[in-house]
Amino acid sequence: MTENESYSIRIISKVGEAKSQFIESINLAKNGGFSEAKAMFKEGSRLFTEGHKVHMELLTKESNNEFSNLSLLLIHAEDQLNSAETLEIIAKDFIDLYEMVNSKIITKG
Amino acid sequence: MIIMKKLYLFCSAGMSTSILAAAIQNVADSHNLDIEVKSFSEKDIDRIVKEYEPDCILLGPQVKYLSNSISKKFSSTRPVMVISSEDYGLINGEVILKKAILRMKNFEKEGRK
Repeated sequence: MTENESYSIRIISKVGEAKSQFIESINLAKNGGFSEAKAMFKEGSRLFTEGHKVHMELLTKESNNEFSNLSLLLIHAEDQLNSAETLEIIAKDFIDLYEMVNSKIITKG
Repeated sequence: MIIMKKLYLFCSAGMSTSILAAAIQNVADSHNLDIEVKSFSEKDIDRIVKEYEPDCILLGPQVKYLSNSISKKFSSTRPVMVISSEDYGLINGEVILKKAILRMKNFEKEGRK
């Protein structure tokens, strides 16, 4: 395995799982499990940060002219990073939103 | 008679998993195990499972959120397993293969009861 592949896979495994956690946290909130949703979200954020660190390492390497190989796999890794980042923002909002809706329903009912 | 086991991996695009599939295949080949490892996108899972009937379904950590619905659909006929992000990130073909074989063995045992 090349250095490029190893970096890409490390990013994908972290931010990919983060992405999955964010989606799951929205689903949990949808079904009223707010504390589980928030814990899941937190875990997702932690994984995302870890993946981000690997990406940062790679950026530092590139700026030091130690890395220049661009592959489709690395682009895919950055793609996963991007979508996880977007989902993090969305998931946070969705959990809050479902919580608000839920409390409104309870007070009205 | 030993029948070849099919170990199919699914992730969001089938891209990063293809490297992992190659790694697992390498380990299987080096131990002379009759196992076929392939990777696909989760979007094709219904068609692939119906057409090729894999003996074990492995999911990448990035599609972990689908494991419930996929287990519901297929876990009565074959084991469904999520690869941990640690094994995935290290491309730990040997560990993943061991876990998958164990799952298949347990599944067969339970099936015979």
